[in-house]
Amino acid sequence: MKYVYIHIPFCDNICSYCDFTKLYYNEKYVLNYLEALKKEISTYEINEKLRTLYIGGGTPSCLNINQLNVLFDIIKIFKFEDNYEFTIECNVSDITEEKLKLFKKNKVNRLSIGIQTFNQDLIKYLNRNHDEEKTIKAIALAKKYINNINIDLIYAIPKQTVNDLINDLNKYLKLDINHISTYSLIIEPHTVLYNTKTNYVDDELDYKMYECICDCLEKNGYNHYEISNFTKKNYESIHNLNYWNNGNYYGFGLGASGYIYNRRYTNTKNIDEYIKGNYIFEENILSKKEQMEEEMFLGLRKMDGVDIKLFEKKYQKNINEVFDINNLVESKKLIIEDDKLKINKKFIYLSNDILINFIGDENE
Amino acid sequence: MKQENIRNFSIIAHIDHGKSTLADRILEETGAITERERQEQLLDSMAIERERGITIKLNAVELKYQYNNEDYLLHLIDTPGHVDFSYEVSRSLASCEGAILVVDAAQGIEAQTLANLYLALDNNLTIIPVINKIDLPNADVEKVKKELKDTLGFSDDEIVLTSAKNGIGIKDLLAAIIQKIPAPKGNINNELQALIFDSFYEGYRGIITSIRVVNGKVKVGDKIKMLATKAVYEVVELGVHTPKESKKKELVTGEVGYLCASIKSIEDVKVGDTITLETNKNPVSLPGYKPMKPMVFCGIYPIESNKFDDLKDALEKLKLNDASLEFSPETSEALGFGFRCGFLGLLHMEIIEERIEREFNIDLIATSPSVIYDIELTDHSHITIDSPVKMPDKGRIIDIKEPFIRTNIFVPSEYIGSIMELCQSKRGIYVSIEYLDTTRVNIHYEIPLSEIVYDFFDKLKSYTKGYASFDYELIGYKSSNLVKMDILLNAKPVDALSTIVHKDFAYNRGRIIVENLKKLIPKQQFEVPIQASIGAKIIARETIKAVRKNVLAKCYGGDVSRKRKLLEKQKEGKKRMKMVGNVEIPEEAFLSVLSMDEK
Repeated sequence: MKYVYIHIPFCDNICSYCDFTKLYYNEKYVLNYLEALKKEISTYEINEKLRTLYIGGGTPSCLNINQLNVLFDIIKIFKFEDNYEFTIECNVSDITEEKLKLFKKNKVNRLSIGIQTFNQDLIKYLNRNHDEEKTIKAIALAKKYINNINIDLIYAIPKQTVNDLINDLNKYLKLDINHISTYSLIIEPHTVLYNTKTNYVDDELDYKMYECICDCLEKNGYNHYEISNFTKKNYESIHNLNYWNNGNYYGFGLGASGYIYNRRYTNTKNIDEYIKGNYIFEENILSKKEQMEEEMFLGLRKMDGVDIKLFEKKYQKNINEVFDINNLVESKKLIIEDDKLKINKKFIYLSNDILINFIGDENE
Repeated sequence: MKQENIRNFSIIAHIDHGKSTLADRILEETGAITERERQEQLLDSMAIERERGITIKLNAVELKYQYNNEDYLLHLIDTPGHVDFSYEVSRSLASCEGAILVVDAAQGIEAQTLANLYLALDNNLTIIPVINKIDLPNADVEKVKKELKDTLGFSDDEIVLTSAKNGIGIKDLLAAIIQKIPAPKGNINNELQALIFDSFYEGYRGIITSIRVVNGKVKVGDKIKMLATKAVYEVVELGVHTPKESKKKELVTGEVGYLCASIKSIEDVKVGDTITLETNKNPVSLPGYKPMKPMVFCGIYPIESNKFDDLKDALEKLKLNDASLEFSPETSEALGFGFRCGFLGLLHMEIIEERIEREFNIDLIATSPSVIYDIELTDHSHITIDSPVKMPDKGRIIDIKEPFIRTNIFVPSEYIGSIMELCQSKRGIYVSIEYLDTTRVNIHYEIPLSEIVYDFFDKLKSYTKGYASFDYELIGYKSSNLVKMDILLNAKPVDALSTIVHKDFAYNRGRIIVENLKKLIPKQQFEVPIQASIGAKIIARETIKAVRKNVLAKCYGGDVSRKRKLLEKQKEGKKRMKMVGNVEIPEEAFLSVLSMDEK
C-alpha cells in the first residue's frame, strides 16, 4: 500500500460552500487531535515506501509552526519512494516563508492552494479571506520553495459571469502554475449556501463555463486528463490518479476514507469519538462486481479511460462480459482507442449519465 | 290510436338552453313520470352526457295526452346536440313531423340553434319556436323574440314562452304541438318502411334499434330485411318507452318504438337504413340514407403497455353501441401497440377517450388528431390517408386535398376582429358576416377541418372569453399546399409526433413544438437536439443541454462510497423515464406535447 491520505479538519474560517469534515481552529483540540491521529496511524503496520502522501483538510496550513512540527514528526514513520509525491493543502493567507521552509525540510514537494476565484466580490461570497494581490505574492513566494503547485478554482458561483470566469482564467494563467482543478460549485446540505437557499446558476451558463475552461486551458498547453483536472506535462496528481485507478490507499484522520484490499471505510466525523479512538464510522467489503464497477466509474473520469488489458489482468474478466457497453459504444458515448475504453470528449460533461450504466444490476 | 292523433317531434336547442329540462317537464305534464320519479334530466342517461350537459345518444318516449277531450299519442324523439352527430340528428329529425326549437331567453340564437334548425327544415318539419328561461333575471324576451322574427322569420303568435324549470308555459307548448304539428302521413296498407334512427346494445337482447314506421306495420315474428346492409332477421320483440319499456305486438304507420331481432353485429344496423319485410318484392329505401364516415382519426395507446388487450376489449364494447367508431391495430415506435381510431368529430373522439379511461380504467395517450387527406400520386391514382405516418414520399405526390368546413360562429360583434384574426391564422377563407341584430353576428369562414381539430375550440373560447358559439358543416375537399412535418429527437423521427401541416405554417408550428418539447424534457439527458423537419430539411431546432452537476463530485480524500451513492440515486431517477427513440422522456412530458397548445 503506497498511498496515504491524512485529514486535518481545522480551519480559520469556514467557506460558505464547504461540506468537508472541518472544525474551527481551536488550539486545545489540535494537539489532542494530532495525538489521536498518531495513534490511528500506529494501528497499521506500514512498511512499504510511499509513492504519495496527501495532507488535506480542512486547512492543514492553518496549523502553527509547533503544531506542524508535531504533524511532521508523526509523518516521519513513513518512508518514501524515490519519485514520491507529498502534497499539502494550503490557504493563501497561511503561506509564509517560515511555513514553506518547514514544508520543504519535511519533504513536501507539492502544494495544493485553494484560490477558487480572483474576483473580490465572489471571494467574499464564498466567505474566504484572501485577495488578488496577496495571492500573487503568496504564489511567487511558494514557487521559490516548491515548484509543483496545484490551484483549485471554483466556477458557476451565483452571480458569476462568463467574463468573470475568463478573468479568473487569465489571472490564473499569468501565475504560470502547472496544475489546476476546477469544480462547478455544488450547493451541499449543511453549508451556508444551502442554508441560505442559494440557487444554482442556469444550466446553460454552467455548461458554457465548463466549455470555456476546457478551451482556454487546452489552448494554453494544459492537458485535460481528468474531468475536472488539467496539467502541464508530467505534473499529473499521482495521488489522485491512484483514486481514479481504483487503487488502494490509507485514509487517516477525522472523516477520512480509505480503501484497503477490498474494504472501503470512512472514519467518524465526530472529533470526540475520534479522540477516544473510535476511528471508523462505516465500512464496506466490496464484492468483485462492486470492485469492477468502481474500476469503471472511477477510471472513466480520466480522459485516458480504463485500460482494457489491465482490467482483464486484474479481474480475469473482459469488460464486455461484465458490462453491456455495446449501446454506449454504438452511440459513440464511449470510444475504444489503443486498448483503452474512454468517454467521448463530446459527452464528458454528462459523464454521470454514462457512469450510471456501470453500477447496479446488469439486467437493468 | 288513430293515425291523425299521433304527433312525432324532437326538441332542438343549443347546449344549455334547457332542452333536457323541457323534456322532463313534458314527461311530467303528460303523466309519464311523477315528479317523485323524476331524475334530473331523465333522458340523458350516460354520466358523461350529464356532466357535459349534452345529449349524445338518443331516446324516444311515447306519451299519452288528452287535449280537448281527444286522446293523443305523442312521441318525443331526443337528439344529440352536437355537430359531430349531425347525421344522427338528421335521422331522428327525419322520423318526426315537427320540432320544438328552444332558445334561451338570455342567450338568444346560438350556432347550434341554427345548425339544428336547418337540419329540421331540410326534413320539412314544422317548427315551434320556444323562448325558454323567461323568468331568469337576465332574460330579454323581447330581444330574443326580435331575433327569432328578424333572423328566422317567425311571427309573434308562433312563439311559445316557457320556463321549463318552473313549469311555466308547458300546457301552451303541448297545445301548440297538437295544433300545429301535422299527424304522420303514410299508409298502413302499404309495404313496411321503417326508418332506423338509432341503435344501442344490450348484452342479452343484442342490438336494439329505434325505428319510426313510415308506411305499413311490423309485427313480432315478422321476417325483416335491412335494405342497405341486406341483413335479414326475425323480429323478437317490439315496444315503446313510456319512458319505461312497454312491449307491443306491433308498431304501425306513424309510430315510434324499438325493435329487437337478436342482432349481434352492429355492422348490420345502420342509422338511416330502411327496414322492410323480407317478403317485399320491390322494396323502396327511405330518402337520406348515407353511411356514417369517421372524419377525425388518431392513435390511441395504453400508457401501460400491458393494457393493450384491455384497450381492445374496451373499443369492441364501445363499438357495439356506436357504429361510427372505427379502429384497427397500429404500432408506434414511440408508443408501442395501440389502435388507429376514427371518429365523427372531436367531441366524439373526446367522449370515447374519456369513456375508455373512466369506464374501463385504462390510461391513454392519444396522438394529434388527423383528418382524411386525398392524395393524387404521380401516376394520377388517388389514395386517402388518415395518419401522417401513411404519407407517401414527396416525390410521388402531385396534389393533396383536405376537407374544408364552413363555419357558423355566433358572437357579440365586438369580437369580430378577434374571430377574423383567429380564422385567418387557421388558414380560413372569409365568406361573409351576417348581422343577427346590432350586437350579434354570425361569421362564415371556410376553414380546413384539420385546423379545427387542432386547437380551434380552445382558441375560440379564449379569443372570445367564452362568448362565441360555433358550428360547422363540411363543404368538401380542396387542394392545399400540405407537407408532412417530422419531429426528431436525437436525429431520430418520433413517429407519434409527425403531423401534416400547411407549408406556410410549418415553420411556426415546428418552432413551437420544439420549443415546447425543450421545456418539457428534463435536462438529465445527454445533449439532445430536437428538430422539426420537412423531408430532409430541418426547419426548427432546439437543444436540450445536459444537466449540470453531472460531472463534478470531486473525490476529496477518496470518498468513493459517496460518489457511488450519488450515481445510484441518479440511476434510480433514470428508471422512471420512458424511452422514446433513444431519448428518455417522462410520460407526462409526452402527454403534454400531444395535447399541446399553441402559445
